[in-house]
Amino acid sequence: MAWLHTWFGLVLGYVLIVVFFFGSLSVFDREIDRWALPETRFAPQPMPSFDRMLSPIFKQMKPEPAELEAARARVGGSLPAELAVMNWAVYTTHRDPVLAMYAEFAVPNNPNDPDDHVHGHVTIDPRNGRLLGDDQLKVGSEFFYPMHISLHVTWKDLGYWIVGLAALAMLAALVSGLVIHRRIFREFFTLRPRKHVQRSTLDLHNLTGVVALPFHFFFALTGLTIFAGIYLPVSETMLKPQAQAAAVHEAKAKGLPFKPAGVAAPLASVDAMVLEAKRRWAARGMAGEVGYLYVNHVGDRNSYVSLYRAGSDRVTLVGQPIHFEGTTGRVLYEEPPSSAVASVNDFLTGLHLQHFEHWLLRWFYVFGGLTGCVCIATGFIFFVEKRKRQHAQAGVSGARWVDAFAVTSVTGMLIATLAMLIANRVLPIELAQRGDWQKASFWGVWLLTFAHAAARGAMPRMTRLSPAWREQCLAVAALAPAAVILNWVTTGDHLLKTLAEGYWPVAGLDLALLAVGSIAAGAAVRLRRGERAVAAPAASLDEAAAAGAGTADREAARA
Amino acid sequence: MTTSQPTVGVVSRVAAALLGGWLFAWGFVTLGIMLLLRAGMPYSDARTLTYLLAFLVYLAGLCWSFAMRRARSAWLTLAGGGAAMTALAWWLARASL
Amino acid sequence: MRSLLRACALLCSLGGLAWLALAMEVHWHQVRGGRASLAPHKARLLRVMGALALSGSLVLCLRADHASMAVLVWVMSLAVSSVGVAFALAWRPRSLSWLVGWVR
Repeated sequence: MAWLHTWFGLVLGYVLIVVFFFGSLSVFDREIDRWALPETRFAPQPMPSFDRMLSPIFKQMKPEPAELEAARARVGGSLPAELAVMNWAVYTTHRDPVLAMYAEFAVPNNPNDPDDHVHGHVTIDPRNGRLLGDDQLKVGSEFFYPMHISLHVTWKDLGYWIVGLAALAMLAALVSGLVIHRRIFREFFTLRPRKHVQRSTLDLHNLTGVVALPFHFFFALTGLTIFAGIYLPVSETMLKPQAQAAAVHEAKAKGLPFKPAGVAAPLASVDAMVLEAKRRWAARGMAGEVGYLYVNHVGDRNSYVSLYRAGSDRVTLVGQPIHFEGTTGRVLYEEPPSSAVASVNDFLTGLHLQHFEHWLLRWFYVFGGLTGCVCIATGFIFFVEKRKRQHAQAGVSGARWVDAFAVTSVTGMLIATLAMLIANRVLPIELAQRGDWQKASFWGVWLLTFAHAAARGAMPRMTRLSPAWREQCLAVAALAPAAVILNWVTTGDHLLKTLAEGYWPVAGLDLALLAVGSIAAGAAVRLRRGERAVAAPAASLDEAAAAGAGTADREAARA
Repeated sequence: MTTSQPTVGVVSRVAAALLGGWLFAWGFVTLGIMLLLRAGMPYSDARTLTYLLAFLVYLAGLCWSFAMRRARSAWLTLAGGGAAMTALAWWLARASL
Repeated sequence: MRSLLRACALLCSLGGLAWLALAMEVHWHQVRGGRASLAPHKARLLRVMGALALSGSLVLCLRADHASMAVLVWVMSLAVSSVGVAFALAWRPRSLSWLVGWVR
């Protein structure tokens, strides 16, 4: 169990800390978008009129150029100039000032996949229907969030598999950690910061692992079940006939046409359907707004419109859809309350994806995520500090590299994130591929932090805590407030203004940045003191010898 | 278990845990769905329920394979059990069509 | 009103976990000084008070929010409070002494 915990934890810890950190940022991804895209800094809006505003925009949507190219390659040649639209979707949340609109276009002539399709999407200002420029990178929801779910490794879903493996390792680390550290209740509050580095690091590791154990466990587990279709794709392979039969049967039972009729027909008033849906929800005692609107078989006689209620008042996800016949607007099917199994799944999924409106709980989630990061980081530090002396004596450089990677994945990752936010403010607005340049800043700076950590952790200095930690903390202490100042200088929305207006998306991020900067500064100061104190090597050796006799330290020896 | 274990043994055990465990989870899901379908549960519910349990099963297999004395027993139970469940599910699926 | 309920819930979690911590000898010594003794019946009393405070916290959470969210808020409040109590015991143990000032 100790071997499992140490090695699975170490190898996948680097992935896991990235997932936890960007997961924590993703709790406020749309708020980060507001900071990064000043032109979207207005209040969240309800879904606008489909008939008057959304429909004309949909009719003009085109597939993504990159996806079109890939489709051409798959079909082996030419595609018609205009691809037929299959379906439309609109999605809004209580946090979004801007509206996301999606379309799927059918790709004909694919010999391998008759259902082949490509996607298109636009983002609009719902107050006036203005399209947001293509190159407006939503740093939160389009960079930090995908980083969390797939590390931006999209080739053959490999990123999802890596994150999934890390989640599984996390669960194994929690279970094996409990086996190693059995006395979790007796040592629940134990934290001895004045003891030597290994003991106090292990205390903090145990504390952060145990107090947020339900959080860590459920987030890893629900993360896996959310993407279970990728890890165990039974419906697409072995049980495809059963899945297909069930889908057709379900569509028939609901009266929803599974395939288009091939006969063109116009869409009736969707606004009227929205009104009817809201009336029905209110009649069932769950009045609400439309969160998700879906039009299937667009422009066909068999088209239907599905309206889902925005579930921001509870954990369970968007639910209770009502389906309308596209051509006439009459109600085809009002979904009954979910089955027990579906309810449990919706609750667990909603727990992870958090579309609910509850700011305290969201901040608690950030706390949980950062606690997980501390747990992993202290795990690294404990591993390295324990083996440093042995490795230095044996001339082995293993601990040095683990340390370099650890620094890169803790402070380095933070520096890269701050660099991206700064680039977002500093790069000229008219710069072509501005979004790509921001991403390049992130990756480039992260690479630099690794080079720095590797260089500073060189052999002669190995037996002491690598100076890279302190130096990178100083960098964070400088970059974080710099980002806040740049926000002020480039947009005029300084903290006093945003606090006075109560515009929390921007004020919140600015305050968080200032907090991060001061914590990093404090850490740098403490590390400096620690470096000076190590100038008394005899004292620390005695401490280590004395601590070795403690029974609780047996787990330190075993790990 | 210490770091002095022979490398092949380590690789074998990790592989048994991850690959064998995955196969076991696959078998669990496919067999679970087929049995639930037979019991009258709709497909989507059957799939959802087995998915909810699948990773707990995978986790249990993973931890268990590290608790085993020999990697071979881990391989046999996880990969073997997984293959057996998958085969049974396959047979049930063909029989129902 | 809801914010007030949630704030009270958080305070109850903090207090409850502090009492549970102080029911343990090692933490009792941190707050009361190295040689202060903790009689078993007092320890039990602290544990009961701790459990009651945590239950009270859950009730307050349930009054503030829909059940599904309330439970999550409560569980996370325990995590936050635990870290708070651990940090207090590590760096400012005397700050918790007023919670048990009535114990002889």
